[in-house]
Order: sequence, then C-alpha cells, then structure tokens
Amino acid sequence: MSAFAAYTIIGLSLGGIFALAALGIVLIYRVTGVLNFAHGAMGMFSTFVAWQVFYGYPHPGMPSWAVTAEAILAGLAFAVVLGLFLEFAVFRWVRNRPQVVKAVITIGVLLALQSAASLIWKNNQYHLPIYIAPQTSTFMLAGVPIGANYIVIVVAALGLAFGLAAFLQRTAFGRAMRAVSDNPTTAALWGVRVDAVGAVSWVLGSVIAAIAGILITPFINFDTTSLTLLVVDSLAAALIGGLVSLPLTVLGGFILGLLETYPTIWIQSLGLPRLIALLVILTVLIVRSPRGLPGVAK
Amino acid sequence: MWRFVIAIVAFAILARLPVGLDAGFQFDAALAVIWAFGILSLVLLTGYAGQVSLCQATFAGVGAYGAGMTVASLHGGYLLAIVVGVLFATVLGVLVGLPALRLHGITLAMVTLGIALVFDRYVFQDHLFDWFTGGAGGWQVSNASLLGISVDSSQHLLAAYDVLLALFCICAVLVVNLHNSGAGRRFRAIRDSELAASTMGVNLTRYKLLAFAMSAGMAGLGGSFYPLIAGSVSPQPFWVFTSLQLAAIGVLMGVRYVPAAALGGLFMAVVPDVLTRYGHGTFLNRAYEISFDWFQIAVGVLLVLQLILLPDGVWGDLRGHAARVRNTFRFKRAHEVTPA
Repeated sequence: MSAFAAYTIIGLSLGGIFALAALGIVLIYRVTGVLNFAHGAMGMFSTFVAWQVFYGYPHPGMPSWAVTAEAILAGLAFAVVLGLFLEFAVFRWVRNRPQVVKAVITIGVLLALQSAASLIWKNNQYHLPIYIAPQTSTFMLAGVPIGANYIVIVVAALGLAFGLAAFLQRTAFGRAMRAVSDNPTTAALWGVRVDAVGAVSWVLGSVIAAIAGILITPFINFDTTSLTLLVVDSLAAALIGGLVSLPLTVLGGFILGLLETYPTIWIQSLGLPRLIALLVILTVLIVRSPRGLPGVAK
Repeated sequence: MWRFVIAIVAFAILARLPVGLDAGFQFDAALAVIWAFGILSLVLLTGYAGQVSLCQATFAGVGAYGAGMTVASLHGGYLLAIVVGVLFATVLGVLVGLPALRLHGITLAMVTLGIALVFDRYVFQDHLFDWFTGGAGGWQVSNASLLGISVDSSQHLLAAYDVLLALFCICAVLVVNLHNSGAGRRFRAIRDSELAASTMGVNLTRYKLLAFAMSAGMAGLGGSFYPLIAGSVSPQPFWVFTSLQLAAIGVLMGVRYVPAAALGGLFMAVVPDVLTRYGHGTFLNRAYEISFDWFQIAVGVLLVLQLILLPDGVWGDLRGHAARVRNTFRFKRAHEVTPA
C-alpha cells in the first residue's frame, strides 16, 4: 500500500511537470495559432543555462539558496530572451500562414535548439539536479514521507494554472490576449496590439517551459534529447484539455503522470510511458475530437 | 519518355560517382540513397496526398529490422529479406494511416511524432521486441548475396549501392508518373480539399490508406538495404530526430518535387560526414572545429528561413526561376518574328 502511495506521489509530480509544460503549449497555441513542437527544446535550453550557472563555476561565499535563486533567475532570463527572439525573428513573419506551416517551422526551431545544446553540453546524461527545496526535507502525510521537491512541483503547476487563468480573465492585457485568440483581425480593429500580445504569449510560454524543465531535473537523468522529447507527453496533456482549457490541461497532466507511473510498479521499461502518451493522444483525438482543433475531421 | 531517359542517364552518372572513393564515402553514397527513399516517400505522402508525417525514419527502421531479422535470425536470402522489410513497413503504414482517416494537419503531426518516439524508445529498445530487433546488439549481416551477386558491406558495397540506386531510379519514375495517374489525381484532390474530394466520389478511406501504404513501403524498401550496407542494424539511425530531419529536409528541398528527394538524400548523408572529416583544422592560426551538430543546426535554421522566404522549397524555387527564364526567351523570339 505504501508503494502505491509512493508511486502516486511520483506520478502526481511527474504529472505536474507535464501540466506545466502543457500550459505553455496551450497558451501559445491559443493566442498565436502555433502548435509549438519546439516547446520541450526551449525548456531544455533554458534548463541547461540554469544548470550551467548552478554547477558551471564556483560561487564562493554564497549561501546555497542564493546560488539556486541565481541559477533559476538566469534560466528564466534566458527563457525571456529566447521567447522574444523567436517572436521577433521567426513567428512575426509567418502570422498569416497556415497552421501546418507554422508547426513545421517549430520543428526547424526544435532541430536547431537541440543540436546547439548538444554542441555546448554534449550528449552526456546529467544527474546533478537543481533542488528548489533541500533534498532532505520531507513532509509526513498519512504515514508516507513526501519530498518537499515533489510538493514544489504540484504547487507550482496549480499556482501557475490558476495565476494564468486569473491573468487571462481579470486583467486588461489578459482580455486582449483572449480577444486575439478568438479573432486576430477583429481584435486589431478594436485597437488591440496584436504584435505585443503575440510577443507576451511567446515570453510567457517560454518561461513556463523553463520552469517545467528546471523542476524536472531532480527526477530524471536529463540530457538534451530527453528534455526536448518531453514535448510529446506535454502535447498529450494539452490535448486532454482540448488545447483550449487551462484547468483541464492541468488535470490532463496529472492524469497522464499517474497513467505513466502506475505500470512501472509491475513493468520496468523505459519506453512504456511513451507508448501510454501515444495511446492518450490517439484516444483523445479519435474518441473525443477536441473542439478547439481545426485539424480534426468532424 | 524524357523522364525515362533522364532516369537512365542519372543512374549511369550516379552509379559511377563513388567508384574509387574510400569506403566511408561509398557508405555515404549508399546511405544517401536510403534517405532519398525516405524523402521520396514523403513526396508521395505529403507532396501529393497532403498528409503530414513525422515518422518516415520509423518506416525505414522497421524495414531495416525486418530485413535484418530475416537474414540473421531466420537465415533467409536477402531478396526475401527485402520483401519482408517492405511488407512490415507497409503494414505499419496502413496502421498509421488508420488514425489519419480522421485527422490531418497538426493533429496528424502530433500522432506521427508520438509513433516515431514510441518506436525509437520502446519497440526498437525494449526486451519485449528482441525477436524483431535482435536485442541490444542488433542484427549482424555478413556474406549476403542478392540473386547470386555478392552484396555484403565489407567487400561489395558498390554492388549494393548500384542495386539500391537502380531501385531508386525506378521508384522515382514511378512517383513522377503517379502524379497525373488516376490515383495521383485523387491524392491531389485529397490534398487540396478532403471535403471536395469526397463530394466528387473519391473514396477517402481507400486512397488515404493507399498513400500511407505506398509511402511506408517505399521508405521501408530503402531501409531494408540498411543492414546490407552497414553490416548491422541499430536503433540510432532511425531514431525520432532522423524522422524530424527527413521531414525538415524534404520540406526544405521542396516536398512536391521528386528531384528534391535525390537532392535531400545526398545533402542528409554526405554533409555531416564531410563536416566530421574536414570540419577541423586551423584558420588564421586559430584552431576551429565544426562538428556534426552544426549540420542539424543548419537544417533547422535553413528550414525556418525557407518557410519564411521560399515556401515552395529549394527545388520548387529553382523551377520557378527556370520557368521565368524560359518565358522571357519565348517572348523575345515571338517579338522578333513579328513583322514591324
């Protein structure tokens, strides 16, 4: 029973990561119409930047929390720059092109980011994580010890989801973003600055991807490819939310995390979770036919 | 008629090209044809039928493993191995085509990316599929012969290359001919509008599955030669990033045009090897090293630039220029013969 509880905790925190990454995908897709296959690669690059700051050079005389904060801020700052760069250098020029073309462009971005990272950080597997909370601190819940880092992920996922939802619903800029996501032309006619909205959604998406990447480092031996390929699981979670709904996306992330974790109680297989992600994608697309997707034949 | 002449001349020239080069470049030449098959299959599937696929290298990999299994585990001849490889790939193509009946565009891209990842990380690597993949070591293929000709990798690499190239030229002509055939016209109708095509009486189920089956079979045909030229099969050449590269290079070169497949295959096989071989040295007294990774960076950046600047791909753009030049000359001639 306690094994089951332990796997539930692992599954929920893995699901929190998927949920975070999927939130960025949904945000970018809704506002700009770009299905971002490079989302994992963007998070990967920012994570490695943070990792480089954390482990790359000595920090004499700095307390460990300050080093962690510095690394995370460096990663997030890089994510902001990356998001702005992609918006201004690439996606601003293809705003009115078909969705498929934009998606293929993100594959180009994925390939470039992935090999640039493997050029800098090689194809090693890293297992030196960036801990937000001290590794040893645990909470007891119903007799089961829970690492604080697991809780950080779940809290971050839920917090960001509700924060984003509140931002979209309550603020003027959030309203502008929703207007653009409904219809860019009409929004522009009403005086919404469509370019600014696009830039902000790319920055937000990139930052969320970076947070997801940094938070996952304690749980896997990460390398440039595994973080890049996280995009498939995130897409599965995003599809559960129909690529529209933020709360459903977070729920989808948690469900997918649990679905991918429970079979590992019985079967030790590194590849099996990928099969589950694919089955989730297929099930959602074939059975449920999300309304938010123009690519699904009715 | 001209396309047959062009195919035969191209075969004659390309077959002589790697003669006398070292084994590494001969391997590159054969590998170029395998990737050219991959991109040719994408021309049929994406260029003609309008179906997005990010798992063409998976089809090639299934062909390679099918062929490797037939030779190394079942001790069959290589001709049988190729048939088995193509068959396996075709079956997988139909299976992938089934969800495609209800999907297109970005949703199909998601599904095919998922399939590429599942085969890369699960089927090609898990112990459950050792009967198919030969376990961690993969299949070793040596002393293979095809219709009595020795074609194994260490001694007779060029013989395998010639067979592969001949098959590619035949397939290329077939795909060109397909463009205006009944099936080709139906494929293009599906690409332009599924709704309109089905209204005109095109059987969407049959022709979408046909496109996937033909495309996967073609990629598998190329892949089934991989154990022959490399001597063994491993998951690495057919992993998910190869699928993404095939799609990227196919689009980059011009996914609607058959010659772009040959161009893309050559680009994909030769450039990385040239970079690893000659990409290091000193320039102005400073040591530099251009590694293999720069190739993929270049592919990504070129793809982004091409989609912004030349939507029809490199070959499509060249064709456009050629047509414009021809038209100018035609106009001048007409102008000259007109009496003033």
